[in-house]
Amino acid sequence: MSATLRPSGALRSYIGGKDEIAVEAGHTVRETLSALNIPPEVIALVVVNEQQQSKDYVIQEGDVVRVLAVIGGG
Amino acid sequence: MNGYGGQILRVNLTTGKITKEATPPDVVRDFIGGRGFGAYFLFKEIPRGADPLGAANKLIISSGPLSGLMIPGAGKCDFTTKSPLTGGYASASMGGHFTAEIKYAGLDSIILEGISPKPVYLFIDDDKVELRDAADLWGKGTIAVEKHFKEKLGEEFQVAVIGPGGENGVSYACINHDFGRQAGRGGVGTVMGVKKVKAIVIHGTKSISVADVAAYRKAGMALYKACKDAEGLKDWTRYGTTIVTSWCDEVGALPTRNFSAGSFEGGKGLYGQTMREKIVITDKGCFGCPSPCGKYSRSKKYNINVEGPEYETIGLMGSNLGIDDIEAVAQANLLCDDLGIDTISAGNAIGWAMECYEKGILTKKDTDGLELKFGNIEATFELIEKIARREGFGALLADGVKRASQKVGQGSEKFAIHVKGMEQSAYATHNATAMLLAYMTCDVGAHHNRSWAITYDLQVGRDKVVPEKVARVIWLQNFRPMFDVLGACRLQWVELGIDRDLYCPALEAITGVHRTWEDLEKVGARIWNLTRLYWARENEGFGRQWDMPSPRFYEEAPKTGATKGQITRFEDVNTLLDMYYEQRGWTTDGLPAPATLEQLGLAELIT
Repeated sequence: MSATLRPSGALRSYIGGKDEIAVEAGHTVRETLSALNIPPEVIALVVVNEQQQSKDYVIQEGDVVRVLAVIGGG
Repeated sequence: MNGYGGQILRVNLTTGKITKEATPPDVVRDFIGGRGFGAYFLFKEIPRGADPLGAANKLIISSGPLSGLMIPGAGKCDFTTKSPLTGGYASASMGGHFTAEIKYAGLDSIILEGISPKPVYLFIDDDKVELRDAADLWGKGTIAVEKHFKEKLGEEFQVAVIGPGGENGVSYACINHDFGRQAGRGGVGTVMGVKKVKAIVIHGTKSISVADVAAYRKAGMALYKACKDAEGLKDWTRYGTTIVTSWCDEVGALPTRNFSAGSFEGGKGLYGQTMREKIVITDKGCFGCPSPCGKYSRSKKYNINVEGPEYETIGLMGSNLGIDDIEAVAQANLLCDDLGIDTISAGNAIGWAMECYEKGILTKKDTDGLELKFGNIEATFELIEKIARREGFGALLADGVKRASQKVGQGSEKFAIHVKGMEQSAYATHNATAMLLAYMTCDVGAHHNRSWAITYDLQVGRDKVVPEKVARVIWLQNFRPMFDVLGACRLQWVELGIDRDLYCPALEAITGVHRTWEDLEKVGARIWNLTRLYWARENEGFGRQWDMPSPRFYEEAPKTGATKGQITRFEDVNTLLDMYYEQRGWTTDGLPAPATLEQLGLAELIT
């Protein structure tokens, strides 16, 4: 049971500079981020399979989850 | 000189004399371009004590070495002057295509001096430079005037224009370009208006020499590829800066009802997603941009087309006024753009007036009959017009929220949200100590773009007051404004997260000068310290007190939203400043110490 998390930009530093990481299905995006030590508060946008979702979305098997942060700012 | 137009254009509006001089190599070496040129010429050329609205003040318009070249977003133009809003340093950055034409006309900076006896526009077509009569354009809106020039001269001419706000001396008048881009902050449009310059139109056909064409091509392509490959490109392009609206609401940073809270119950009506679905027609980019953040919108309700609104305008003209209708924000945006006033300062000033009204400090007798309750859309539109024309109650707000609150008194100074007289931009800072410090110490007043540290607050603990936060603020202040020095947009680094080291080979290939980011950050620190000295030179008694934020952020905790009950302690405000001054190498009253100036190569310049 796995899905793919793709953090954007500076967020990649939380996963060793990689473009993506396999994550377990069955958890919310918020829980998944916390488990990776990515503060959910810095995430501005969650997109799952090209559909915008909330951080409380429960990740399903095979999902591709993109998360955008606002690390650099406006 | 590789990467540069090579000349400074000087226009004396009093005498009509137009001259050119070679761009000084030592200024290129020490200040590079753009905002750096602006700071240098401001400090060296504008006499001590000059009236911002007098003939001695100058408007310095500068491109950078990357401007107009094949570099992502290389369309940034700097406007520097002595601010009529704050009495200190003003530097406003404008996107679009104007700065590229400066370079193509063989120029690096345009310096406007003196005051014209009558309305004029500055016409530049390569080496042909003329002051032309603008009597028939005076009084007109920015959109009509830009359209006029595009039709008269051709699409290839780029136009920077002021509106009635600049003509009428609104202290935060902006300069408009490309039907929706602005040099917005600090009253750069006010100074252009005082000088009776309605517009600058420019077109050039000259080449920009680069040191190593093959290396330039390679480095430029690497930058574009990094942008194209960025995971966030699609989403940042879809939403632009409005992507942060919902996030700010969630974390309590969305200015709400004159910054009394950081979350807005009507926020959803303003979110980027709502805006995209309801009013956005298409995307719009600046010169050479691979990730266009601009949005063209159409409001059926108001029967208008407008570029925007972007996040700052949504925050200040939306939630800060208790307005939850994105179409109303778009209309307010269009009014401000056409009238030529800064949406940030205007929204902040109107928010202050609405709070005064709701508290009974101001009544309908004071407001020309306007019922200035939060959420009153029609009153907002009317007040924008009044401000731009300095009519009745609008004249009070046209001088900015600091002066307005000093005139009205009755405790209203405490909820005038500004630093050094510049209205705070759209991040509520009740419990975000790094962002609060960034606003307190920003070189132009309470503006966000030098150091955007609020995410860092969330990462390390928002109420923590630790040296690491201060170091982060200083690093950002030295680093981020360098994009305005180089003449390129920072958003590819900010939003897409591309590797900043990709810029150094490009800069070297273009200019032939090897500079690392360490070198560039030292230039950033040099400029930061020079402009700090400028503030001190121009304002007797300048020091720590000038860096204090609005008491709202250390005296009144929000009653609602994500930051309900949260506040920064007053002693923490002072601790932040102590640490900041120490890390900057400044005195305890916030003035650069001699050793710091020596280290930055400024000791000789300032004597």
